[in-house]
Amino acid sequence: MSRQIEQLVKMANQIALNVAAGQDEVIVARETAAHIRKFWTPAMRRQLLDFRRAGGAVAPAVAIALAALDNTDSNRSDTQ
Amino acid sequence: MLQFYEPQQDYGTPEAVAGAPVQLSIDGRIVSVPEGTSVMRAAFEAGVKVPRLCATDSLQAFGSCRVCLVEIDGMKGYPASCTTAVQAGMVVRTQTDQLARLRRNVMELYISDHPLDCLTCPTNGDCELQDTAGELGLREVRYGFAGANHLHAPKDTSNPYFTFDASKCIVCSRCVRACEETQGTFALTIQGRGFESSVSAGQDESFMDSECVSCGACVKACPTASLTEVSIIEHGKPEHSVVTTCAYCGVGCAFRADLKGATVVRMTPHNDGKANEGHACVKGRFAFGYATHSDRIASPMIRDSIDEPWRLVTWDEAIAYTAARFRAIQQQHGRNSIGAISSSRCTNEEVYLVQKLVRAGFGNNNIDTCARVCHSPTGYGLKTTLGESAGTQAFASVAQTDVVLVMGSNPTEAHPVFGSRLKKRLREGARLIVIDPRGIELVDAPHIRADYHLAVNPGANVAVLNAMAHVIVSEGLHDETFIRERCDSEQFAHWLAFIRDPRHAPEQLETDTGVASHLLREAARLFATGGNAAIYYGLGVTEHSQGSTAVMAIANLAMLTGNIGREGVGVNPMRGQNNVQGSCDMGSFPHELPGYRHLSDTATRTLFEREWNVVLDPEPGMRIPNMFDAALDGEFRGLYCQGEDVAQSDPNTQHIQAALAALDCLVVQDIFLNETAKFAHVFLPGSSFLEKNGTFTNAERRISPVRKVMQALAGKEDWEVTQDLANAMGCPMSYAHPSEIMDEIARLTPTFHGVSYARLDELGSIQWPCNDRARDGTPIMHVDEFVRGKGFFALTEYVATEERANRRFPLLLTTGRILSQYNVGAQTRRTANSSWHGEDTLEIHPHDAEERGVKGGDWVGVQSRVGNTVLRAQVSERVKPGVVYTTFHHPVSGANVITTDNSDWATNCPEYKVTAVQVSRVTEPSAWQARQRQFDRRQQKLLETAAPG
Ligand code: SF4
Ligand code: SF4
Ligand code: SF4
Ligand code: FES
Repeated sequence: MSRQIEQLVKMANQIALNVAAGQDEVIVARETAAHIRKFWTPAMRRQLLDFRRAGGAVAPAVAIALAALDNTDSNRSDTQ
Repeated sequence: MLQFYEPQQDYGTPEAVAGAPVQLSIDGRIVSVPEGTSVMRAAFEAGVKVPRLCATDSLQAFGSCRVCLVEIDGMKGYPASCTTAVQAGMVVRTQTDQLARLRRNVMELYISDHPLDCLTCPTNGDCELQDTAGELGLREVRYGFAGANHLHAPKDTSNPYFTFDASKCIVCSRCVRACEETQGTFALTIQGRGFESSVSAGQDESFMDSECVSCGACVKACPTASLTEVSIIEHGKPEHSVVTTCAYCGVGCAFRADLKGATVVRMTPHNDGKANEGHACVKGRFAFGYATHSDRIASPMIRDSIDEPWRLVTWDEAIAYTAARFRAIQQQHGRNSIGAISSSRCTNEEVYLVQKLVRAGFGNNNIDTCARVCHSPTGYGLKTTLGESAGTQAFASVAQTDVVLVMGSNPTEAHPVFGSRLKKRLREGARLIVIDPRGIELVDAPHIRADYHLAVNPGANVAVLNAMAHVIVSEGLHDETFIRERCDSEQFAHWLAFIRDPRHAPEQLETDTGVASHLLREAARLFATGGNAAIYYGLGVTEHSQGSTAVMAIANLAMLTGNIGREGVGVNPMRGQNNVQGSCDMGSFPHELPGYRHLSDTATRTLFEREWNVVLDPEPGMRIPNMFDAALDGEFRGLYCQGEDVAQSDPNTQHIQAALAALDCLVVQDIFLNETAKFAHVFLPGSSFLEKNGTFTNAERRISPVRKVMQALAGKEDWEVTQDLANAMGCPMSYAHPSEIMDEIARLTPTFHGVSYARLDELGSIQWPCNDRARDGTPIMHVDEFVRGKGFFALTEYVATEERANRRFPLLLTTGRILSQYNVGAQTRRTANSSWHGEDTLEIHPHDAEERGVKGGDWVGVQSRVGNTVLRAQVSERVKPGVVYTTFHHPVSGANVITTDNSDWATNCPEYKVTAVQVSRVTEPSAWQARQRQFDRRQQKLLETAAPG
């Protein structure tokens, strides 16, 4: 795993741990997705999604969040 | 605004705090002044200057010199006008033959013990003793100079910035009082009595060996040449002066740059500056010599690889080279492969232009600023809870605070002029709670003792704040009316259920916080019930894995106790560098446009698109750590870094260095070849704050003018360089002056609509928001309602950091700052400030030191999970057992070689304040330090051999 992916996984897990701490997983996942959507570049989101699709492990709430992000992001073009 | 040099207006005694008007007659003129005003001040306001020596308007009247005598109908004798308060109907005479005789007699005594070397005296023409003798028409000294006198008293030249010449001292005690009242250090005393009396620093010590912190308040207050700046002794009296703003810390002190031709001979704190009201600290007051230091680089330079010598080139070549390299990288690796980092040391106009260049010229949003690594959690936390990413008060508000909570901030070192204000209020009786792992000066200072020092374990801030809120709620001490009227009630109910949970009780959290529960309970009660409570916090709050959560918990505490929206209360982030607030305001974060508006907001984006005539990318760009991670993967290849030294200031140095080395094109714009520039391919010489026009915004949202007092050393102000680069990259910019940049900012940013250089000239400075609703700015925010409407109580669960002490790394390292040095030290290390702090040291508790056989002064290796470095140990009880502390002002210390890349969950602000380490005695520098020295030497050589090419 590249350091970049390692960091993205760490960041996403940390967001999920904090963004709506103590609340149920659906809310945590929703807030995590919103946070990532608001502050991450499309490339970072895509890298984490690719990592996840390839079977990479993330926190459960992050997995749900990524699925939601996948839906919104796949409708967008991310030109370089 | 160049003006001929004139000493600043001195009313003689301080302004009375808004008393009822009192009318009196002075020399036949009728004057009306507020009750409590002195006769001396009333006279001055009526246009009559009463002679004086021991009085000055920054200090309480003392009444010792007897030069200011007046006659008042109905009063016996000749009262001193400085200590006599006005009364209604008073009839005062300031000029009579009898008064003139009396004053001359007093003056003769002073002069008979004063060397009459006026012609060769450094303050000739700028001396109150000389002026007063002139005003009184003194023509002879009957007592002669043969009697006992002090004419040969020795000079104290120990301080690098000012000299004490006892022979010129008239023992007026202004210096002693300035040190007490203005600065709050109490370093000076008058020793002895009568003829024997003299000024002394500490117990007969030299200034340098005493408690003196070299703020210069005594020098400014001294009416004679007894205390004089070395620069004035060298250059003589200034010819003209320009009002400008300090470029060091976030207090943003106003100064008069006093000049002789184009040479700054003194920086005099400006009495009308609202942030500092005539006071300053050793950095702004004295440490300006770096601007003309021989290390300054005056020519643009380029090189294809960092192993090659630099080539000195023209501006045109450097700009064309940069533009070509950046465009080539984008063509090959995509639009998002380049970006920029701007600096909080630069002006608003400069950082605004850099983000504009990135968004409109680079065509992406890869712009970030150094606030990423300091106060980005403030932005996130305060925006979420209160609706605006800024502090709520003016500094002056602290004068009405009853309970001060200082958390993770060390004002007397890092924000010294605010520290002095705070100390003044504390001496007047305000109560103090300090939450800090370390015993900062405020915990136990002259005439100040904290009521509570909660020595929290590094990393447990949120636990402490939650526990305080828990106590307040469970003991029913919260302000229900405020919460009902001002806050989101549904969210509050939610939060209430959360915070009431026993897991937040101080007893439950004691092991995490390291704070005795009864102390925490008492502190919480004091905060909630002690009257106006204000919170001042710094990087000890933000630079944690839960930095943003802690900021939200702070806002919660303020709302919970109704301490927001009026004088004396509020949430006050102490911004580190001069323009942290401004650089954040100016849209320097990758996800938002100026005025904190998210890029996804189509209306805002459209506004900018129309003004800039481009289509903007609606997606966020990379943050600084993302840029470095992407650089190592080869996805990010070009970086324009303005005024920021990431190689020294950012965490995990070895990672940063590897990322910088991986870039195809690193462009550094700075005044020195800093650590980052050693990895650069293009060096664009920067201009110091004395060489350009612009504005800085301080921690109280105060926009203050920065004015050019000398020509830019390399011929261009920084904004001009960015403009040239933009034009070369096909992004047209044609500003003729930074005022036009501010006009554009004002057009596009609602909170700045009313700001212009003309208004700044008129008002001196402006606290934003400044617009149609607040034409003269806004000293206090959230007065009737929060910017977001209703205050939002965010849930702030405590999540312990991953960075924990264990057997291998049993100590927690935390970092901080010291008064005399500034940030990475590039400026202050090139001044005599290094006399106070020549190296960074490691503070370690006596127990931990003993366990390791470490003695004060020993070299110790500090090893963390990511790296190690070697520092000199300083055994100190300021830190508690288990905690060690250092500063990062010197690159060779490598403090950031050991800090990890853990960061705040919301903003990626690095967790500088918690690093698990082991400390052991060593005999030689670390491997990194050895490598670094070699690298430095090589880069220095490449600089020395730079040649036109
Ligand atoms: S320079 Fe400041 S701290 Fe030092 S003696 Fe003067 S007033 Fe006191
Ligand atoms: S040093 Fe200056 S301010 Fe201090 S007592 Fe002497 S004359 Fe007054
Ligand atoms: S460093 Fe800060 S406190 Fe010191 S003079 Fe400058 S702005 Fe004021
Ligand atoms: S100025 Fe009034 S007694 Fe000195």
